[in-house]
Amino acid sequence: MQQEAVLALLAKEPAYGYQLRARLQQALGPAGDTMNAGQIYVTLSRLEKAGQVTCEREAGLPDRPDRKVYALTAVGRQRVAAWLADVSWPGPGLAEYHLKLIAAAAARLADPVTIIDAQRRELLRQLRDVQRAAMAEADGSEAGVLLEGIALRLQADLAWLEACEQYWTHHKEDGS
Amino acid sequence: MGKTLLVARLAARDIRRHKAQAILLLLAITAAATTLVLGLALDGVTNQPYQQTRAATNGPDLVASYGVNILCPGKVPCLVSAVQVQADTSALTHLGGVTRYSGPYPVASVILRSRGLSVPVQAEGRGQAPASVDQPKLTSGSWVRPGGVVIERTLATALGVGVGDQVTLGGRQFTVAGIAVTAAAAPYPNCQDTDCLFTMRTSNNLSSLNVGLTWVTEADARAMASPQAPLSYVLNLKLKDPAAAPALASQFLSSLGGEGAGMGRGIDSINTWQDISSAAGQLVQDEQSVLQPGALLAVLLAVASVAVLAGGRMAERTRRVGLLKAVGSTPGLVAAVLVAENLALALLAAAAGLVIGWAAAPLITNPGAGLIGTAGAPSITLATIGLTVALALAVALASTLVPSIRAARSSTVSALADSPRPPRRRAALIALSARLPVPLLLGIRMAAGRMRRAVLGAASIAVTSAGIVALLTFRATVDHNLGPTAGQVGDPVITRDTQMLAVLTVVLIALAVLNAVCTAWATVLDYRRSSALARALGASPRQVSAGVAWAQVLPAVPGTLLGIPLGILLFKIASPGKMIIPPVWWLAAAVLATLAAVALLASIPAHIGTRRPAAEVLQSETA
Amino acid sequence: MNDMHGGTCVLRAQGLRKEYGKNGGLVRAVNGVDLEVMAGETVAVMGPSGCGKSTLLYLMGGLDRPTAGEIWLGGKRLDQLSERGLSRLRRDAVGFVFQAFHLMDELTAVENVELPALLAGRAPRAARKKAAELLDRVGLADRARFLPTALSGGQRQRVAVARALVADPQVVLADEPTGNLDSAATVEVLRLFDRLHTAGQTLVIVTHDPRVAATADRMISMRDGAFTDQTRLQGGTTGRLGNLAGLEG
Repeated sequence: MQQEAVLALLAKEPAYGYQLRARLQQALGPAGDTMNAGQIYVTLSRLEKAGQVTCEREAGLPDRPDRKVYALTAVGRQRVAAWLADVSWPGPGLAEYHLKLIAAAAARLADPVTIIDAQRRELLRQLRDVQRAAMAEADGSEAGVLLEGIALRLQADLAWLEACEQYWTHHKEDGS
Repeated sequence: MGKTLLVARLAARDIRRHKAQAILLLLAITAAATTLVLGLALDGVTNQPYQQTRAATNGPDLVASYGVNILCPGKVPCLVSAVQVQADTSALTHLGGVTRYSGPYPVASVILRSRGLSVPVQAEGRGQAPASVDQPKLTSGSWVRPGGVVIERTLATALGVGVGDQVTLGGRQFTVAGIAVTAAAAPYPNCQDTDCLFTMRTSNNLSSLNVGLTWVTEADARAMASPQAPLSYVLNLKLKDPAAAPALASQFLSSLGGEGAGMGRGIDSINTWQDISSAAGQLVQDEQSVLQPGALLAVLLAVASVAVLAGGRMAERTRRVGLLKAVGSTPGLVAAVLVAENLALALLAAAAGLVIGWAAAPLITNPGAGLIGTAGAPSITLATIGLTVALALAVALASTLVPSIRAARSSTVSALADSPRPPRRRAALIALSARLPVPLLLGIRMAAGRMRRAVLGAASIAVTSAGIVALLTFRATVDHNLGPTAGQVGDPVITRDTQMLAVLTVVLIALAVLNAVCTAWATVLDYRRSSALARALGASPRQVSAGVAWAQVLPAVPGTLLGIPLGILLFKIASPGKMIIPPVWWLAAAVLATLAAVALLASIPAHIGTRRPAAEVLQSETA
Repeated sequence: MNDMHGGTCVLRAQGLRKEYGKNGGLVRAVNGVDLEVMAGETVAVMGPSGCGKSTLLYLMGGLDRPTAGEIWLGGKRLDQLSERGLSRLRRDAVGFVFQAFHLMDELTAVENVELPALLAGRAPRAARKKAAELLDRVGLADRARFLPTALSGGQRQRVAVARALVADPQVVLADEPTGNLDSAATVEVLRLFDRLHTAGQTLVIVTHDPRVAATADRMISMRDGAFTDQTRLQGGTTGRLGNLAGLEG
């Protein structure tokens, strides 16, 4: 589980461990089938060690990870902000990008549509570069077919980004 | 049962969606049906009016006209002695089978003048008391009196005189005392075909005119006789067996030694009531000879219109056919739906045609004014109904059955992917058109791409043009035959024929206009895409609508020219005998007028079509 | 005023609006669009179907009339011209490329290309010569006498592009030019557009294909009849091709 995604889920407000897991399950649906119960807690403990997250045990509750309360530190918050602004590609996997948008909307950190637009612009520029390179190649060159592959993946990603944009234009999340 | 309902529903919905086209189709078939009904009604007109007149006037079975030998040479006919006349009268009245007779009445041959018109007439001398055989029935006014003349009804109508008017008979002033009809002679102008004998030898002018019939007092008649125009006599006989009249007449004549010998003796003619009846009916037959070829023309034109319309609709149906087949309809069902639409319209049109024809028929079959009553609501016989319905169905089916079957059999995929059939390429025309101004360029390319439509359009123009040329030929022939017409009464038959022909031409022209509008509309739709594209590529709307108009005018040229020989041929078939070809400038004017009309009618839908923004058309069309 | 190409404004639209229907059924296909296209620029308008981008293009090409707003083409005001004036403009100043090609099926390639010139009244021989040159320029000199049905999709669209160029237009407007083409044919057409761009032709392309949009100098996003975003697409990428191909580094 990518650390930034988990951090971002805490950006709105601190949450219990079990609440974080439920939020993830809702966001990922069937795609969360490879995620096992313990993964998120491993990530959370790593983040705690790195000082990006604090962990508190509520009085009267058992000392189990799902009953502890987690919250972002300032460092953690910075990391989330940088993550939201990052447009490098190949980016995170689909699930993580999806969580990025959800978290941005839930915590009101940024408008998902703006994030998507920025990413699309970047991808288009990259597609342009790839196409120029491809056209400069002679017909039937080996490198040409590789470039074709890159271009097709970029196209696929752009198509998905457009679908995301459609969705987020019509859905303003008001928190989970 | 379910299938039938489905077919009916689909057909009904389709008709509702394309109301305008359905209405046009309906009109075209109705016009054809109406013309057919009228033609058939005329055909079926019986002798009833004559029978009515005969009953009302105690019409004779035999009419003998005698007392003057008109065959003898010289300036004046030879008189027959009074003794001879009496002997003839006696011989006639004593023929076997004669039950009653009236006459012999003296008949003077004089010129009737009225308002500058001159007609040779018989003035039959009658008494005040009603005759037992052949008492003419007055339709207005009163019977003969000294100084008063009763005129036969058709002649009166042709002259335009009424009771109380002043006319001159043989130089003497007479007042029109009354107007009557008789069964003893055929109405003007066919009177002389039977027994109206004119004894005055005149200059050629008058002798070519038809003789009319009038009645005056016996004294007046005798007073009007002169050596140049001696009296003749007419005798009306009634037989025990009317059917035996022809046998009796020929028996009498052969007993004299033949017709020639009879004439030498002064017996001009013995006419049977059957002869008179058919001469009276001749008027109607003459009209028929004009109406029937005209009806044929009208039917042909209607068929052409329907074919164009139906063909146009077929093109749009292809995609619908594809859809129907794709959801599981059999080709049979599909064809059934397509045919059902046209059948429904055709039956409706047949019914409409029958009703209109039944209402309008009396106007046509009124066999001149000379007989009592009209031909009666001309029996819309079962045969008429059957034929009309058959025609309507045949027309509808013929133009749609083949395309329906073809559409139903075609590949579903190609039907769904349909765009209207791509036009065929004609390289020579394309190369030629490149050198011409833009409207011609567009027009030629459009017409070349849809040859079938162009040919159909040319055919329907040819039919119209033939009708007009036939009318002109008729006019020319009549003018020539009548010679100088000043001061002479028009031949009512010819007048009526001209009227008939004019009515027919109006019907033809109406049908042709309908056809032209349909063709124009279908053409504009067909070329919607090309026109929009041409506009997108820079042609101005005016150039494009001119192009679409040219696409129809160009095929109309050979059509109009073809109509000339066709029309003359048509006239020849309808009216064998001497025929005068109309002058060249008449034909030229007709050709130009037709082309101008085509251009005008074509440009209106074309203009309307170009108002739609090109973008709409181009965006909605597939590749 | 951006002057990437140091130049004149070839096409300008202000407050452009196009509406269909009325009251309850009112559809605002184009809802207040401002646009400037400079000489030599390639502009791509991207958006989902139904966003009005094709309508916008047809308005700019004078094929349809706006409900409101102003359009200038080469300094002439379009929305006030008569139909005849518009047709002259279409003939001389604008070249259109359609998604459905819209070639005349009964004309050969060269006859299709020369048609606008003939409609403009040029001499047949000169028109034919120009058409042949253009077909050569798009790489179809050997197919000049072929009918469209004998050409592949990509070849047909190239003929259509040649046709759009025959009048030396100030701007070429292309409506989803690769919409009906497969991947390989798309590349053919993109190459052609690239060559035109290098030669200095002004292009406005409407598309939903990102590959086509990526060839432009400037990309405009459109949604529900209005522009939502504009981007310059030159350079400034953060990634390297190797990364995109999956190589670490």
